[in-house]
Amino acid sequence: MIEIGHLTMRLSAGGRTVTILDDITLKIPSKQKVAIVGPSGSGKSTLLGLMAGLDRPSSGSILVDGIDITRLGERPLARYRRSMVGYVFQSFHLIPTLTALENVLVPLELSGVATPDSRARELLGAVGLGDRLHHYPVQLSGGEQQRVAVARAFACRPPILLADEPTGNLDSATGQEVMNLLLSLHRDYGTTLVLVTHDRTVASSMQRLVALRDGRVESDELIDGSPSVFSSVL
Amino acid sequence: MIRFIVYMIWRETRGAWRHFMYFVVCIAVGVGALVSVSLFAAHVDRAVTKEARGLLGGDIEIRASRSLSVKALAVLSEVSARGVEITHVSELVAMAARTEGSAEPGLSTQIVELKAVEAAYPFYGKLALDPPQPLDRLLHPTGESCGKTPCLGAVVQEGLLYKMRLSIGDRIKIGTATFMLTGVVRMEPDRMANAFSLGPRVFVSQEGLREADLIKPGSRVRERYLLKLLPDAAFEPLRGELRGRLSGDSVRVTGYRDAQPQLKQFLEQLSRYLGLIGLTALFIGGLGVAMSVHAFVQEKMKTIAILKTLGAGSATIMQVYVGQALGLGLLGTLVGMASGVLLQRILPPLVTDVFASEILVQLGVSLDLSRVSIIPLVKGGLLGLLATLLFTLWPLLGVRTVNPAAVFRREVDGRGRTAITPRWWRRYGFSDGLKVATAAGLLVGFAGLSIWQAGSWKIGILFLGGVLIAALMLIVCARGLISGVAYLPRLRSLSMRYAVGNVGRPGGQTIGIIVAIGLSMTLIVTVSLVEQALLRQVGETRPVDAPTFFFIDIQPDQRESFAQLIFQQAGGARPELTPLVRSRLRSVNGNLVTTEEEHDLDARRDEDKDERRRQWYLSREYVLTYLDRLPKGNEITKGQWWESDREHEKPLLSIEEEAAKAMGLELGSTVEFDIQGATVTAEVSSVRKVDWGNFSTNFYMILSPGALEGAPLSYVGTIHVPPALEATIQQAVVAAFPNVSAIHVGDVLENFGRVLDRLSLAIRTVALFCLIAGGLVLAAALAATRYRRLYESVIFKALGATRELIAGTFAAEYAVVGAVAGIVAVALSSALSWLILTYVFELSWMLQPSVLLSGLLITVLLTLAVGCLSTFQMLSQRPLAILRHE
Repeated sequence: MIEIGHLTMRLSAGGRTVTILDDITLKIPSKQKVAIVGPSGSGKSTLLGLMAGLDRPSSGSILVDGIDITRLGERPLARYRRSMVGYVFQSFHLIPTLTALENVLVPLELSGVATPDSRARELLGAVGLGDRLHHYPVQLSGGEQQRVAVARAFACRPPILLADEPTGNLDSATGQEVMNLLLSLHRDYGTTLVLVTHDRTVASSMQRLVALRDGRVESDELIDGSPSVFSSVL
Repeated sequence: MIRFIVYMIWRETRGAWRHFMYFVVCIAVGVGALVSVSLFAAHVDRAVTKEARGLLGGDIEIRASRSLSVKALAVLSEVSARGVEITHVSELVAMAARTEGSAEPGLSTQIVELKAVEAAYPFYGKLALDPPQPLDRLLHPTGESCGKTPCLGAVVQEGLLYKMRLSIGDRIKIGTATFMLTGVVRMEPDRMANAFSLGPRVFVSQEGLREADLIKPGSRVRERYLLKLLPDAAFEPLRGELRGRLSGDSVRVTGYRDAQPQLKQFLEQLSRYLGLIGLTALFIGGLGVAMSVHAFVQEKMKTIAILKTLGAGSATIMQVYVGQALGLGLLGTLVGMASGVLLQRILPPLVTDVFASEILVQLGVSLDLSRVSIIPLVKGGLLGLLATLLFTLWPLLGVRTVNPAAVFRREVDGRGRTAITPRWWRRYGFSDGLKVATAAGLLVGFAGLSIWQAGSWKIGILFLGGVLIAALMLIVCARGLISGVAYLPRLRSLSMRYAVGNVGRPGGQTIGIIVAIGLSMTLIVTVSLVEQALLRQVGETRPVDAPTFFFIDIQPDQRESFAQLIFQQAGGARPELTPLVRSRLRSVNGNLVTTEEEHDLDARRDEDKDERRRQWYLSREYVLTYLDRLPKGNEITKGQWWESDREHEKPLLSIEEEAAKAMGLELGSTVEFDIQGATVTAEVSSVRKVDWGNFSTNFYMILSPGALEGAPLSYVGTIHVPPALEATIQQAVVAAFPNVSAIHVGDVLENFGRVLDRLSLAIRTVALFCLIAGGLVLAAALAATRYRRLYESVIFKALGATRELIAGTFAAEYAVVGAVAGIVAVALSSALSWLILTYVFELSWMLQPSVLLSGLLITVLLTLAVGCLSTFQMLSQRPLAILRHE
């Protein structure tokens, strides 16, 4: 369960203070699939980043399983990101100097998994990249990079998957493949899935739709939908 | 986690060799400089220690400035009866003259350093002679060359043969004796340096010296008795016994272990200062490392943000990058150590030049690695690693504050939105406990490095303070420049406008470059300024009427005829004759003075400077004189000069200011002198300030007329003559007074200038490492901003700029940066040289425009050259290829 209470985020740009999130309150039960939608600059990505513990809000709280992550120290916050959250970015954000395999290895090694190598290979095999293990990000297509990113985000089987426009940089067919991956993880492992999207099709495959505008929740409603891919391997 | 850290170190390093090349080289240059100097010093030190007996010429040396008394000689013969071998060596300066009839042109008289020895000389060490025969045989030639009767032989340094156009078999006259030249001495164990000698060495036998009849009462002579003990005998008891039994003779008794302080101290000091210059090179290189790590962290922001997103804590990420830095530092250190081993071989010619002798060959210095090389190598290695850690820690602290959300946000919307701007103390890290603690740790670390290298708390702290102040001033000036360019009026030249813009742009490395280049140039310019000032002091400030010659050892009965001779030869000029006598202090205010050796060297090391100074003044030998008028260049600061025609109840003493201060002497204090066995007690009646650089005979102690009656006086005569008369006068004096030696002031000063020049060359050679490090820092900084420059140059090209315009922009930027670094460097070195000249050498400082101007020019040219070399490649890049990748 993720409970967001009165979350506010202000940033300064060019000497002026801009309010990105303005008193957001939201509850996301475990295993729910949530789409966060809204126009550019409405604060979607910032909200997702705060849920991942990538930044600290100006005020308000984010309780994950009863613990306020906005008050966690540097070390517990790192532990939270390592064990509780998987994060998928719109522009993939693979480490350019690491191969596909090494990118997936990073979270496994950080968590001290006993045989990280075989698990990373398995994961990349499952996303269909078993033959591209030793390629560097620049040698992979956008869809392939995003699949590596998904494999990396899910490497430690986190209970929460956060995805920031995961299909935003992909063509529709590749985007659909990546979405199928994410949905199958949700279905097969009961992962809470929160994703930010502009894409109506993507949004319609979620259970709940939260719309933001100017940093505030404009609407919050339930819908339905889901397919699968992962179950055969994981 | 360990696995992750180790793997990440490797993964992050393997693709970034180009980036890290400068890192490695910066450390390598500093470590190379340090290791080469300390390895060389260790190798020389080992040789000096090994050759200790050779350097002294025996196990124990008894040294006196006059012939030993009968009683002392009896002590020696008793010691000799116990199986101790003793040999007598006398050293003095004398004049050598060509015998009549030799037609060759060349000097007919020459001052020489005469050394009279006995058959047993030397007990230890290598005496290299040509022909390779025993010295004693060469000094007692027999056979046809000599004529029918045995004659006297002399073995000389080659320099004498050149100067006087003589060859082996020719004869020279020294004093009243004639010697046949029988050989050349190439190496002499107990005379290592020729640098400050008054003339070439001439070896004669003791019989020869007696025959020459040079030693008169009051003559300047050094009598040495060298003792060789039985193989297993301990020397300390005998040394102690001799000190006790010979105390009446004012002799100095030294054992071989404490014998080489002068040579050793000089080498120690030289290597200490050269080592500090090496440390400066390491610091400058460290700056390059810090800049390169800073640029690396900037470049790695995204990776750090991703790692944090994936759950890596700041500490883990820090460990990765610190580990990486240490790995690279280790590599640089190893490369530096290897190059240090090779580079130490460039130092011997420099040292040989300083000493003007083949000192290293004489000492048998081996530069091959051995057990003594371990400590310098380990020390260099540790210094390299410590410096790496110290210089990388600070920029790596930035890892902690990388905010992943901010990094990604910037990437997505391209706008630099940051968290609310913190107050200045937060921005500079004053509220961050870890940063403050790290800064404190760094300061302690740097102080530790400096003290360790300097081998002294005081010098280490002074050194670090100097470097920090210089760096701080450079930073302030660089910042001033950066904020100043914003207020410049719009420049007309396009390339100048862009260049100035580049200088002040955020993310540029202007400050680092200015500090690195500025520091190295400050060092080099300061050395040159001090050298020039010292040379000017000995050269240009010599008064027009400064004496041409000092004639020493003139006997009382030769005074009149000497003055007359000079009067005739020098066209009516009268020599100034000053009486002298050698003495030591016996007691001060009734307290007996202990001699230097009783006051052991090791004990002295622990004492503070004032006490060591006091001891130095108390135990040194004083040349006394009596005068009725206050000499030129002297000024009474306390008390009064005696009235010239009055009889004084007891002898009065005028003492030099510094000496009085060091020994705590006041007006009315009593001082008892031991003048060659007789004692004279005098009361301090005045204190003088002496201008030591006035090129006259200057004295610490002057007694009132009549005080030295009956003492074995000799006279020193000074005379100023035109250059054309110099040779004639010297010849005439030598012919008429064989025992009188003529010291030519010009030659001595020229010699001094040469030594200074060589010393400065040695220092500048090591300082070159700093310059190389400075150049590397510049290259590293440019490499770090290479991509940005490349991108800009491509955009410029795409917009129609010519290659010349872009090259001009870059060149103008480097020139501006170089000029600021240069201006600050010359200003700093002027201040530094003023401090050194005023407080160390007590000389006046003068603006030296030529040195400053060339320092400035060199800085600008260096910056331009390195800058252009590192960027010219960019100019040929095709725009499309770069833009496609963007």
